[in-house]
Amino acid sequence: MSTIMLVDDSATILLSISSILTKAGYSVEKASNSEAALQKFNANVKVDLLITDLNMPGMNGIELIREVRQLPPYKFMPILFLTTESQQAKRQEAKAAGASGWIVKPATADELLNTIKLVLR
Amino acid sequence: MDELTSVFIQESREQLAEMEAGLLRLEQTPDDASGIDTIFRAAHTIKGASGVIECQFIETFMHRVENILDALRNGEADISAALTTLLLECCDHLGSLLDVLAAQASEPSADVAARGEALSEHLEQFLSAIVPTQEPAARTNLAAQDDDGEVESSGGGVVNTDSWHISVRFGPNVMRGGVDPLSLLRYLGGLGEIIGIETVSDGLPPAADMDPESCYLGFEVRLQTKASKADIERVFTFVSDECDLRILPPHSNVADYIRLIQELPEDDMRIGEILVRCGALTQAEVDHGLQAQHEVLLAQGESSGGADTTAASPAPLGAILVDSKVVHKETVEAAIAKQNQVVDKRAREAQLVRVHADKLDKLIDLVGELVIAGASANLLALKSRQTDLVEATSVLSRLVEDIRDSALQLRMVQIGDTFNRFHRVVRDVSKDLGKEIELSISGAETELDKTVVEKIGDPLMHLVRNSLDHGIEPVAVRLERGKPACGRVSLNAYHDSGSIVIEVSDDGGGLNLERIRAKAIERELIQPGDTLSESDIQNLIFEPGFSTVETVSKLSGRGVGMDVVRRNITALRGTVDVASVAGEGATFTIRLPLTLAIIDGFLVGVDKAAYVIPLDSVVECIEHKDISGGRNFLNLRGEPLPFIRLRELFEVGGQAPARESIVVVQFGGQRAGIVVDQLMGEFQTVIKPLGRLFAKLRGIGGSTILGSGEVALILDVAALVNMVSRSEETLLYGHRVASPFALSGSNTVIRGNEH
Repeated sequence: MSTIMLVDDSATILLSISSILTKAGYSVEKASNSEAALQKFNANVKVDLLITDLNMPGMNGIELIREVRQLPPYKFMPILFLTTESQQAKRQEAKAAGASGWIVKPATADELLNTIKLVLR
Repeated sequence: MDELTSVFIQESREQLAEMEAGLLRLEQTPDDASGIDTIFRAAHTIKGASGVIECQFIETFMHRVENILDALRNGEADISAALTTLLLECCDHLGSLLDVLAAQASEPSADVAARGEALSEHLEQFLSAIVPTQEPAARTNLAAQDDDGEVESSGGGVVNTDSWHISVRFGPNVMRGGVDPLSLLRYLGGLGEIIGIETVSDGLPPAADMDPESCYLGFEVRLQTKASKADIERVFTFVSDECDLRILPPHSNVADYIRLIQELPEDDMRIGEILVRCGALTQAEVDHGLQAQHEVLLAQGESSGGADTTAASPAPLGAILVDSKVVHKETVEAAIAKQNQVVDKRAREAQLVRVHADKLDKLIDLVGELVIAGASANLLALKSRQTDLVEATSVLSRLVEDIRDSALQLRMVQIGDTFNRFHRVVRDVSKDLGKEIELSISGAETELDKTVVEKIGDPLMHLVRNSLDHGIEPVAVRLERGKPACGRVSLNAYHDSGSIVIEVSDDGGGLNLERIRAKAIERELIQPGDTLSESDIQNLIFEPGFSTVETVSKLSGRGVGMDVVRRNITALRGTVDVASVAGEGATFTIRLPLTLAIIDGFLVGVDKAAYVIPLDSVVECIEHKDISGGRNFLNLRGEPLPFIRLRELFEVGGQAPARESIVVVQFGGQRAGIVVDQLMGEFQTVIKPLGRLFAKLRGIGGSTILGSGEVALILDVAALVNMVSRSEETLLYGHRVASPFALSGSNTVIRGNEH
C-alpha cells in the first residue's frame, strides 16, 4: 500500500483530498504546514508520494520540495504540488526545486487519482 | 452540515479576518508588498477551498476578488482608498455569503445576491482599468506556440497504420525530479494498447562515465488508443521541458515520419531501423522517404533556410519567458526576506491543532475533579501521619497542579484577535462621523480564558464606539483646544495580580461631570443635595437607564446603555470603572478574572465555617491582638487599612478568639483587611457557581467542596473591598443612605456595621 504525504494549510483541502485518497486505498499522512511535514520526513517515515500546496505561511511549498529532495531516502520520490491555472510561473520554480508534477485545483477525484497513478511507482 | 463544509466555514472566517486585517494594514502602509501577498493568499485559500466544496457562489465571487488582488500583487494596479473600501466591502459580502452557506441555503437571498452583483461590477470596473495592457499579448504568444506544436500533414503517401507513434527522449534529470520514465510508459499503456515499443539507448555513455541517477533513455512507442493527442501529451506534461516528445497521429504521412526521423537526434538510418523494428514503417518506406527528403532539401535550400528561421523563432520567446521568470523569482524572494518576521509569527500560528471546545471543557471539568480528589487524598494522608504516604501524595498533588496549569493554559487565548477587530470598527466609524481617529493597541499578547475572550467582545465594542462617538471631539473642536486633529483611541491589556485588565481610553473631551450630575438628578438616581466625589459621578454612567446623549445616534445609542456593559462584565466576575480628566480624555478599565474555572485559594475559617479567598488577591496576613474599637480600620505600617469582620458580615455565631487574623487583600488598587478566626493555608479549588437563588448575594463568588467533603464559600474580594471602603465612607459621611450608584451590596454593609 502506497503512503501519500499531504501538506496543505487549508483544512478544507486536507480533508477533501485525504478522503478521496483514503477511499482509493492509499494511506495518507497529513501535515498542515511545511515544517510539520519536514519533521516527518526527517524522521524517515515511509512516504511514496508527496503532495504539497505551494502557498503556505512559514516555509512555502517550494522550499519544502527543495528540502525533501535533498534527503537521501526521498531523492527519487515523486512529488506533486497543488497549483491553480493562474500560477504558471510558480510551476517552473517548483519543478526546478525538484517537483515531479502538479495537480491543478480544483481537481476532480478522477483527475487527482489519475495524476497520482501517473507518477506513483 | 457535513464535516467538510463546517471546516470550510470555520477556515474561511479565519482567512477572512486575515484579509480584513491585511487590508487595514495595507491602507496604512501601502508600499508594503508583502501585505498584499498575505491578503492574496487568504483570498486564494478561500477560493480554492470553495471550489473543493463546490460552493459556486463563493467561488465565483472570490474569483473576481482574487483577480484584482492578483493585479495589485503584480504591481499592475496601485492600492487606493477607494479600492481598499471596495475590498473591505467585499470582505463583508464574503462574510454574509459564508452565513448563507452556514444556514445551509443553496443560494444567497435576493438582496445578498444583488449586493454581490453590485460589488462584482465595481471590481470589474477597477479591473478593466488595469488589464488590457498586459494580458492579451501574453495570450496570443501562448496560442502561437500551441499552433507550432500541431502536427501538420505535408504530402507523400499515408502510412498504413491506425496507431499513434510516440517518440520520446527523456532528459538526464527526469529521475532527479522524481519521475520514473517507466511509470509514464505504464500509464501510457493504460490509455490503450502498446503495440510496439523500442528502447533507444544511444545516449548511454560508457559505463565509467555513466551517472546512475541520470536518465539516458528514449523510447519509440506505437500506441493503439481512442485517446486524443492532448491525452497522450498530458502523460508527458510533467517532463515536457526536459524531454523531447514527438507524437504522430494514426494515418500520418510517410513524409511526417521522415521529418520525425530527421529531427530526432540519433542517426537517421539508425532511427529508421528502430521505427521499422517497432512496426511504424516498413524499411522501404524509410529508405524511400529519406532519399526523397534529401533531394527536396538539396533542391530547395532557400525554403529550408526559411523553415529554419521559423523554427528558430520560438527560441527568443522562450528566453524572454525564462528571463521574466528569473526576475519574478527574485522579486518574490526579496519580498519574502523583508517580511520574514511576520512570516515567522504566522508560521508559529500555523502549528496549531484544532480541538473541539467541548472536549476541552470536559478535560477542564475532569481536572477540576482531580484537583478536589487530590486535595482530599492529601488531607487523609496528613491525618494518617504516615510520612511515606504524605510524600507520595505531595508528589501527586504537585503533578496535579501542573496538569491543572497546563489544562487551563489550553483554554488561554491571546486577546489580540479581539482587539484587531476594532481596526475596522474605528476606520468605518470615524469615516461615518467625519472624524480622524486612530486606534492604538498594546498588550495584544495578553492571554485570558477563551470563554472570557468570547464574551468580552460586545462590551468592548460598546465602549470603543462610545469613545469614538462621544469621547473624541470633532476635528474643529480638537484644533480649537490645541490638540492634534487626529484623535486616538487606545486598547490596552495587561495582567495585574491574577486579573486581566483591559483599558479603553481616548484623548477626547472626557466625561462632562455637570451634565452627568444633572442627568442623574433628572433621572432621580441621586438627590440634588448629595455630596458625591468626582469618581462617583463618573461611575453614574453605569447606572441603569442613564444616557447623556439626547439624540439616539446610529453608533452608540441603541437603547443599550453603559449599564448593559457593566452587567455583561459583572457576569464574567469582572468590574468596570471609568476615570476621566476633563479635556484630556477618559479611560474605561475592565478588570476580569483570568479564568472562570479554577482558582488558587487561601482557606480561612470563622467559627466552624470555611471560606476561600482567591490567593491572587491576598497581599499578606497579619495577626492583631486588639482590633476592637469604634472604627473599622487600623494602622498598617503608617497606612490606614479598612477592614471587615467576616463573623459580622455573615452573621456567624460564636465568640471571636482572642487573637484574630487579618488577611490583607487588594483589588483594583484598594486594600482592605478581612478579619477571620484562623488561617488554614493555600488550597486549590474548583469554582462551583452558586445556585440561582443566591445569585444576588454580594460578597460571595461561588462555592467549592473541600477535601473533607465540606462546602466552603469563595469570597468575592472585589465586592468585599468595595463594601469595606464604602462602609468607611458611610461612617464618615454619617448615615446618608447609600445612593443607588453605590453597589447594591451596600445594604449588607450597613447592616453589617449596625450590628
